[in-house]
Amino acid sequence: MARTLNEPLWVRLLLIITVFLFLGLFLFLPMAAVFTGAFKKGITVYLKSLADPETFAAIRLTLLVAAITVPLNTIFGIAASWAIARFDFYGKNILLTLIDLPFTVSPVISGMIFVLLFGAQSAFGAWLIAHDIKIIFAVPGIVLATTFVTFPFVARELIPLMQSQGSDEEEAALTLGANGWQTFFRVTLPNIKWGLLYGVILCNARAMGEFGAVSVVSGHIRGATNTMPLQVEILYNEYNFAAAFAVSSLLMMLALVTLAVKSFIEWKSKSVSIRQMFEGGESA
Amino acid sequence: MSIEVQNITKIFGNFTALKDLSLHVPTGELVALLGPSGSGKTTLLRIIAGLETADAGTVLFHGEDVENKHVRKRKVGFVFQHYALFRHMNVFENVAFGLRVRARKKRPSENEIRERVHKLLNLVQLDRMAARFPSQLSGGQRQRVALARALAVEPKVLLLDEPFGSLDARVRRELRQWLRHLHDELHITSVFVTHDQEEALEVADRVVVMNEGRVEQVGTPDEVYHHPATPFVYNFLGNVNLFHARIEKGKAYIGELAIDLPHAQPDSESAMVYVRPHLLDISRARGENGDLRARVVHINLAGSIVKVELLSEKGDTIQVEISQERFSQLLLKKHEDVYVTPKEVRIFPQDYSI
Repeated sequence: MARTLNEPLWVRLLLIITVFLFLGLFLFLPMAAVFTGAFKKGITVYLKSLADPETFAAIRLTLLVAAITVPLNTIFGIAASWAIARFDFYGKNILLTLIDLPFTVSPVISGMIFVLLFGAQSAFGAWLIAHDIKIIFAVPGIVLATTFVTFPFVARELIPLMQSQGSDEEEAALTLGANGWQTFFRVTLPNIKWGLLYGVILCNARAMGEFGAVSVVSGHIRGATNTMPLQVEILYNEYNFAAAFAVSSLLMMLALVTLAVKSFIEWKSKSVSIRQMFEGGESA
Repeated sequence: MSIEVQNITKIFGNFTALKDLSLHVPTGELVALLGPSGSGKTTLLRIIAGLETADAGTVLFHGEDVENKHVRKRKVGFVFQHYALFRHMNVFENVAFGLRVRARKKRPSENEIRERVHKLLNLVQLDRMAARFPSQLSGGQRQRVALARALAVEPKVLLLDEPFGSLDARVRRELRQWLRHLHDELHITSVFVTHDQEEALEVADRVVVMNEGRVEQVGTPDEVYHHPATPFVYNFLGNVNLFHARIEKGKAYIGELAIDLPHAQPDSESAMVYVRPHLLDISRARGENGDLRARVVHINLAGSIVKVELLSEKGDTIQVEISQERFSQLLLKKHEDVYVTPKEVRIFPQDYSI
């Protein structure tokens, strides 16, 4: 394959150098800037800015939101891809399109949707106020907005995978006497696990990093409804650059860890199939 | 366990896969569902298994209606066309699956499972491969693992969908003899789907020829081959030459050639005469009953018989198969004009169509 695609050396070099220059300029440079900014005033200032109660609350809230939205979207993603890959039903194409909606809509609009739905002026608003339920400018609103924005990740990852695998193995499991749960946990899940994990990781990264939608519904109440990205903005607007970069560096590290796990998964899922090919794996 | 299929109809969108189809499979028989693609044979197999539901009709196992019985309760062993082995499990675990998913009370102990799986793997001659993964096996080996896995749950009925469809010709021939022997040993009521007439005729006790969602004929391989009930069956089971003929006073006329009919037939202006290539003879001399002149177009000498392709005066292609011996007597050459005489024919009135 490589033979037929062999371009002259200078073309290859030019392409490779261009890509690296571009990446350096737009990815590595900003990343380095974030870390130098964070540690500019030394490690003690760095740690102190992270220990600040408001920042600490923001970190806690971000983790809480991710802990709720990621499992929700994992379940939704599996259900949706199962339905789409396994069954034929009316409205399948509409469902497929709708799953992509959060990707195509600006996050700000995603946030606005929830304000319009649950805000004080909305239809539900009065009822919610009467029952003393807070959604907008409170944690539930942030969770809702984040869930909305991140729900395509798992489904998008699984749908093509499950479609290409077909349902033969599940049917085989049924004829062998397995019930629905056994079929899912023993046959379906092992077959999709790496794709699923990949989707979950991307979903998590976005859930922690989401700014636009959360910004609209959060209300920016310090120490209560600020997530990490929002906290960064506040600190930055207050010219507290060291603290802003310190929080940013955490988000940046999250991104790096995500990338590392992602390439580990890719390597792992590839090596599993290679191992099965040559070694025979663990014996019974 | 016998299988009784009664008046099954199945429609997919605007395609009718099965039309009011009935079928009886006696206990312990090995039955082939034979037909071209789209004839509904796989659909029928899946309905018997419970993987598909019929729009009308019933399926009885040993006289008992299984309509409301879920696939996993039907006790059928199903071998899928592409094997559907669990790719993340090794051969041992694949075969053990059906035993492991049983409710705790009915589940055999780990030792029993081990023993039974190894017994089955021995049966399919794959005991050495227990630790391998499906991706490390050849097609024929996968097929046998699929069979062992299906047999592990001690099915009352074994259903196989194109069991040899994706194997190469040699492995195919070996495996189908092996399947025949296995069936003779186990005597499980078995139904397999195939589009290969040779396979059906060689392996099955009984052949069900299907076409467009209907059963054309059911019979032993000998019956369907030598006494085809319809032109479709005649045509599908082996090569055939078609001639237009008219029937007059107990004789059929193909051009100048007159053929005595074994059974009385009403006179007809347009009948179809079917002749298998090996039931035609070639000669240099004109026959007593008129002749069918044709020119030799192609001669294929490879194989145990000689295949000769001729072109009749009317422009129809005629396939003839003669023995090597006969061929060396005749010393046929290309572009030579000869006479073709049928030894045996089948006549169907024109209103049948293929």
